[in-house]
Amino acid sequence: MNSAVSISNVRKAFGDKVAVDDLNLEIPSGSLCGFIGPNGAGKTTTIRMVMSIIFPDRGDIRVLGKASAMESKDRIGYLPEERGVYRKMKVSAFLKYIARLKGVDAAAAGRKAAEWLERVDLADNAKRRCEELSKGMQQKVQFIASVIHEPELLILDEVFSGLDPVNRKLMRELIDEQHRAGRTIIFSTHAMYEAEQLCDRIFMIHHGKKVIDAPLSEIRHRFDARTIIVEPIGPFDEAMRLAAQLSGVVDVQSHRDGLHVTIADNADPGSVMADAVSVLNDPPSEGVRRIERKRISLEEVFIDLVEARGEVLADHDRAQIASIGAGSADATTVTARASS
Amino acid sequence: MIRKMFDVAVREFSATVLTKAFLIGVFLPPLLMIGAVMLIPALMNQKPPKTQGRVAIIDQSGVTMEGIRAELSPERMNATRDERREQAKKIVSESAPGIVPQAQMDTAMDQALSQALGDGPSLTVESLAADADIDAAKAEIPTTRSKRDLEGTDPRLALVVVPARAVRSATPETEDLAASGGERPTNTGQSPGTFESFELFSAPTLDIEVRRVIERAVERSIIDARIAAAGLNAASIRALISTPDSKSVTVTKSGERQTSEVAAMLVPGAFMLLLWISVFTAGQSLLTSTIEEKGSRVMEVLLSAVSPLELMTGKILGQMAVGLLILAIYGGVGVVSLIALAMGEYINPMNLVYLAIYFLIAFMLIACLMSAVGSAVSDLREAQALMGPIMIVLIIPMMLWMPIMRNPNSGFAVACSFLPPISPFVMVLRLGGSEPVPFWQIPASIALGLACVVVALWATAKVFRIGVLMYGKPPTFRTLLSWVRMA
Repeated sequence: MNSAVSISNVRKAFGDKVAVDDLNLEIPSGSLCGFIGPNGAGKTTTIRMVMSIIFPDRGDIRVLGKASAMESKDRIGYLPEERGVYRKMKVSAFLKYIARLKGVDAAAAGRKAAEWLERVDLADNAKRRCEELSKGMQQKVQFIASVIHEPELLILDEVFSGLDPVNRKLMRELIDEQHRAGRTIIFSTHAMYEAEQLCDRIFMIHHGKKVIDAPLSEIRHRFDARTIIVEPIGPFDEAMRLAAQLSGVVDVQSHRDGLHVTIADNADPGSVMADAVSVLNDPPSEGVRRIERKRISLEEVFIDLVEARGEVLADHDRAQIASIGAGSADATTVTARASS
Repeated sequence: MIRKMFDVAVREFSATVLTKAFLIGVFLPPLLMIGAVMLIPALMNQKPPKTQGRVAIIDQSGVTMEGIRAELSPERMNATRDERREQAKKIVSESAPGIVPQAQMDTAMDQALSQALGDGPSLTVESLAADADIDAAKAEIPTTRSKRDLEGTDPRLALVVVPARAVRSATPETEDLAASGGERPTNTGQSPGTFESFELFSAPTLDIEVRRVIERAVERSIIDARIAAAGLNAASIRALISTPDSKSVTVTKSGERQTSEVAAMLVPGAFMLLLWISVFTAGQSLLTSTIEEKGSRVMEVLLSAVSPLELMTGKILGQMAVGLLILAIYGGVGVVSLIALAMGEYINPMNLVYLAIYFLIAFMLIACLMSAVGSAVSDLREAQALMGPIMIVLIIPMMLWMPIMRNPNSGFAVACSFLPPISPFVMVLRLGGSEPVPFWQIPASIALGLACVVVALWATAKVFRIGVLMYGKPPTFRTLLSWVRMA
């Protein structure tokens, strides 16, 4: 497989704290990958290692076919999570400077900066100082700074934070545009909706370890909620009673959008749905307005994974804290035990 | 790699230099100096207005009137002024002999002094009767505060009352003699007894300078009258109690040479100060720009394009250009003004070359410290804690100025010349001095300095690489050292 980024057996610790532990990751060229994980999972550390801003204690990272990002910095665009602008610099001068640093020649840098400012509706602000811009405007300027040199690989860390819905939409369009231009894009985010909308591949890390690395469709399949949503035309409580009696049904919950019918692991969702429709169509029931197999959202997968692992980890965490206090424990082994 | 460092350096330089604060801070002091040099003569050209008027004398002693009249005569007053001018010239040329060629200085000083002294007052002495009413005489002195009101009139500016006792002391025997109108004693071995003082009433507009002229004239005539009353010759006594001014000469190996304390201290000190200001200004702005990049979180954006080493080197080079600019501006103004004052001989051209080399060493060492601190802290307040010790180190050369200049080749001075980071400052100080520095010490201290620069750059690169992305707990010097050991 042709990988834009390939991470193998990478580990990075800061003092006692293991930020990334034995991480393996392949990012196919031309893909748009969402990189998710709870706060402190090691996302930014991983990205910084990919950028060769910090270096792994162990393991190997190849970026765009080179042994390190050092040799291909000008072909990578990076929007860090901790990002800023020179407050006293003029917007166009700042963009030109960054473009120059990324190897764009002076004439082209000025032209591209002007084009991009036009594209994101900031052309009027080119001569203003960066500090005079709103936070959303600064975000857009920083995004331009990361793509102005037309990189092959684009790494965006928390690109949606601090943007209003209109600018989020603009940002989605810009990212999609870059994707269609054939660039490999990795973006880390807490915005699950955006990730779901944009990504064709998701990887998630938790406690420095990879927990998901798959195309979105595969994730939906793997984390199928085994839930059917039925919206009866008649009263909910009567329908609830009927649904609960169907074979293969484990639990029925009433929600505003309908009844959430959980089916047993060995039951066939198709036949349960057919049964439900026929039962609810018989009088005195008044029929079914809508019935569907619930599509699990990325957010639910995320929360499930974090909380489930959190429960498993709870006991171990206490042990870990105690042993760190005693100064003898290796956090890695505790996490490893927890995940096994 | 080189091009990126150059881009960083250019931005660093222009972002520092093209700010109002920098332009004001760097260009204003020399401009003020030049302004002052041009403005002071203009101000001095405004001579004090000529004082014209009468000085009334009530001479109760009966023997001082002619003396006062002579002292206040125009001829006498011009002579006094010439005398004072000569004295002033002598003082200046003795404090810095040989700095300025004598002839050139004479004309310059003459101009300056005649401007400062102005035209002498033109006073006419008005003799009042010995028994005249003092209050009535006082009433004639105009009390107006504006000199303009007195223009064109011939006002009574002052009233001097010389009592009889001012000349003849209150000892009983002279009292008797005066009373009996008998002969004055030709020789008095005994104490002259107590004298009374004279009284001077003056107009509020009277210049202090003119007042002093009148006071001196009256004093001199009273003393002359006393000497005459004692049967002695005033002129011969004056000749007896004065000596010509002494001359100070230093004996050295190369022969006698006139001492120039001022130049010997000031020129090397100025060299060191020049080095200090340029190194410190550039170092300070390196610190603030690094902190700004970290504080505004632009750092990681930059690190996506350049490596920490490239960034650090570029920043140091940019600020070095800033330091060199300051050095060139201040040094240039200094050298040009010394040459303009015909003091060019006090600058050895080789010393300017050494100044540039030692600037390089001093700046690099300070820049390393500043980069390390700037990269490690999150804001200026945190930097202050780490800057304390660095500032103390930087102040040391200032405190060593006097001891080293007094004894430039002492063991202590030589030791300080090999003690980074103060060694460049000490060397510049010693090289500028009049006592020659043993030649081997120059290449040796340069070699040591460059070696230290290499080590400092190596250590700073490590601190910088870790520090720039580190936020949170303010670091201590121990943390910085552990970062040096870490990678």
